[in-house]
Amino acid sequence: MFYRLSGVRHNSYASDSKMFNIPADRNATVFFLLLGLAAPFVIPSLYLNSYVLPWLIWTAAALGLNLVTGWAGQLHLGYAAVMAVGAYSAVHAAKFGVPWEFALLIGGLASSVIGSLFAFTALRVKGLYLALTTLAMQFVMDWVLTHSPAIAGGSHASLQAPTFALLGQKITSDAGLYYVAFGWCVLVTIFMLNLKRTGLGRALVAVREKDFAAAILGVNSFYYKVVAFAASAFIAGITGALLVATFYFLAAPEQFTVSVSIQVLAMVIIGGLGSIIGSYFGAALILLMPGVVNQIFGWLANMLGLELGIETFAHIPNAAYGALIIIFLMVEPLGLGKLYANIRDYLMIWPFDQLKK
Amino acid sequence: MDWIFLSELTVNGALTGLLYSLVAIGLVLIYKSSAVPNLAQGALTMTGAYVVLAFSHNLGWPLWVAIPLAAVIMFLLGMGIERVALRRLAGRPIVMILMMTMGIDIFLRGTTLAIWGGSSRSVNLGVSYDPFFLGDMLLSRIHIVGAAVAIALFVGFLLFFRTRLGIRLRAISDDYLASWSIGISVERGVGLSWGLASVVAVATGVIWGEVQGVDQSLSVLLLKGLTVAVLGGLDSIVGAIVAGIILGILESVGADFLDPFVGGGSRDLIVAAVLILTVMIRPHGLFGRHDIERV
Amino acid sequence: MAQNDSNTKDMILSLNSIEVLYDSVLLAIKGVSVEVPRGGMVALLGSNGAGKSTTLKAISGLLKAERGKVSRGEIKFDGKLIGDILPQDRVALGICHVIEGRRVFDHLTPDENLEAAAPISMSRAKIKSEKERMYEYFPRLAERKSAQSGYLSGGEQQMLAIGRALMTQPRLLMLDEPSLGLAPFLVAEIFGIIQRINKEQGLSVLLVEQNAVAALEIVSHGYLIENGRVVMHDTAGALKENSDIQEFYLGGGEGKNFHEIKHYSRRKRWLS
Repeated sequence: MFYRLSGVRHNSYASDSKMFNIPADRNATVFFLLLGLAAPFVIPSLYLNSYVLPWLIWTAAALGLNLVTGWAGQLHLGYAAVMAVGAYSAVHAAKFGVPWEFALLIGGLASSVIGSLFAFTALRVKGLYLALTTLAMQFVMDWVLTHSPAIAGGSHASLQAPTFALLGQKITSDAGLYYVAFGWCVLVTIFMLNLKRTGLGRALVAVREKDFAAAILGVNSFYYKVVAFAASAFIAGITGALLVATFYFLAAPEQFTVSVSIQVLAMVIIGGLGSIIGSYFGAALILLMPGVVNQIFGWLANMLGLELGIETFAHIPNAAYGALIIIFLMVEPLGLGKLYANIRDYLMIWPFDQLKK
Repeated sequence: MDWIFLSELTVNGALTGLLYSLVAIGLVLIYKSSAVPNLAQGALTMTGAYVVLAFSHNLGWPLWVAIPLAAVIMFLLGMGIERVALRRLAGRPIVMILMMTMGIDIFLRGTTLAIWGGSSRSVNLGVSYDPFFLGDMLLSRIHIVGAAVAIALFVGFLLFFRTRLGIRLRAISDDYLASWSIGISVERGVGLSWGLASVVAVATGVIWGEVQGVDQSLSVLLLKGLTVAVLGGLDSIVGAIVAGIILGILESVGADFLDPFVGGGSRDLIVAAVLILTVMIRPHGLFGRHDIERV
Repeated sequence: MAQNDSNTKDMILSLNSIEVLYDSVLLAIKGVSVEVPRGGMVALLGSNGAGKSTTLKAISGLLKAERGKVSRGEIKFDGKLIGDILPQDRVALGICHVIEGRRVFDHLTPDENLEAAAPISMSRAKIKSEKERMYEYFPRLAERKSAQSGYLSGGEQQMLAIGRALMTQPRLLMLDEPSLGLAPFLVAEIFGIIQRINKEQGLSVLLVEQNAVAALEIVSHGYLIENGRVVMHDTAGALKENSDIQEFYLGGGEGKNFHEIKHYSRRKRWLS
């Protein structure tokens, strides 16, 4: 939207590879980390578990997709399918009696295997064609879930998840479930924050910018594409499993349909491709928006004395969700993350000059 | 399996396939001129059908007024979408363009349903539901009408692309900069192709609305249309027709063989499999010309 | 800088110290002034990246496609400021730009290539006669008019690109490196035809060339552009005599081999 020639310049590799370029960012991160830890004591549990918890889990999901789409530049329209693999394998494993820690791991690994299948498509094609193949794979997964009662859990096509437990302790309290989601989200965030400082992250970016140019530089683009898909699928798998274990409590095929894939992609793009803080913003916006829009429309209808049908109310959030995507791509294609960085850079020139030091 | 049944499956499959071609033609028109894969074509189809219904049912106008009027409105809508949303994304990464068309898809579906509601309605084209007998084969009349419309559109576009305007559109799809350099307005050409695709969407919406009723399920046609378009080569109108027939036959005969094993509903699986196999084996499709960049 | 002080009414095109910015930051041209007399032929000479093509794009308006814009100076065509006009409208005014690299429409036939360029208002009969005229200029094209243009040879494609530009009925034809990658006899043939059209139809021509030898044979004036500036401007005859030009662009001088001359030329740019 607006660009300013300002920001942070690096004079050494050491400063370039710092986790936080700006001390203020680090301080803010520590502040929000503490806030996250204190949240159960501050926020009423109703809000905590119906807003904050899903937000954190979806943020982790968005970060995982960001790894493959934002960093490695590989389009992925079948992310929800990969999440489904993790969720179903973990829940089945847990039902079988495997402790949840290992069930999660099994889910993540199963997702990695399926996710690597997606990667093999990426080795052959890219761009639009990759998007179409992953989309088709998503449809195959939808089909498998709805047509195999053994996986989806009988004729009702829903699978009750066993009570979540860690280290033998059953976790049922609102705060406990929240801390699980919070912990996972922090873990993924730390991984992503460190990614850009490592050779892996730089290799992924090289592959994104031009894969054959990267190959000429000695970056094995085949290998890194598979790694990106597998790593992102691992995150997706565990996130999917946690989503079922701590939020939905039962797994159903419609939790992982193509529209969910599109939703996660929308979070990533609205947040900003490759932006970590953007994924937090994007997930928040996409999750909160339908409720807020409905409230606004209800209020407007009241104000104007209009009678809006139930059906109209049911579909307005969808229209607003679409409009949100359209408007964001039109106004700031680089997403909320970029918007945040712009404002921060602007304020760092004046009046918060000292924060740079 | 007797031969009459098999040939009935084949012919009906081909007819259904030609109906998928209707969606694919719209996709091809836009992809040809601007290399934008329009994932909103399904939603445009649905919107087109609802606009026709708004005139014919809500206002009670005859169909021969409602359909052309809807075509004009959709033409303007298509041009408007290109002007407002897609034009400024030119040159952006494909992921953003895809997301934009998906956003348009979601927006159009939401808006259409918010205005007109989701209950299924019929267009009442006046085509009899009695089956049509070709020898011993039972065929659906509306499918025959739809296939005829698809063929007519195909011939029409084939002729159109030989006119001066059509040649200019093909020039645009070849090379933007060279088109500008000889005074062709690329923006107007791309806008025109969006408009035409939206008009095709009206035809598609009316036919499919008659086949399965006008409701949200019309937008699900996107996957089939997309598969047909990719199989035919994303920028080939001929491909859209041929691939439509192929996919239709594969789907109808294949589903008949597979359904007993998997407990029904294998049509979507076949479509997805065709899409994946096409991209893996021959990404530029049967008639497409762009050899895509391989790693 | 020898600026031409003649009456501007004779000039079909005049650039008055224009500057071009790419992406709002990169200054590609820093005050270029060029004039093309009506019915005249003028060449822009200079090495790679000097700003010749950018100058042409500024005139034809194609800068827009590359996120560039004219940030200062004025462009006058036929006495009229055209800086704010869309590229397609500039073509309608009579400026046609044959872009670098023979970008014909690969999947159209040569016949369709020519037809695509005809103005919308042109009648069928006129289009037909115009196409005939192009085939008369370029008989090779007539032989292959139903082939796919992508499969034409390089020379044929360049001829097609020029013919296509002529279909737009230009009064000023701008050619960007028409000789690039072509055999010398083809270059001679193409330049011969351009010269002929210039004489017969009074078409003004602005030519961008690295092949200074060939270019200076047919033009009346030349501008030497380096680093986005006009560093020399004179008649073709005077430029041919100039020792610097001879040394750096014409391959004359003290019998140096090609390799050394390239080297010199690069060093000179480095120092300037």
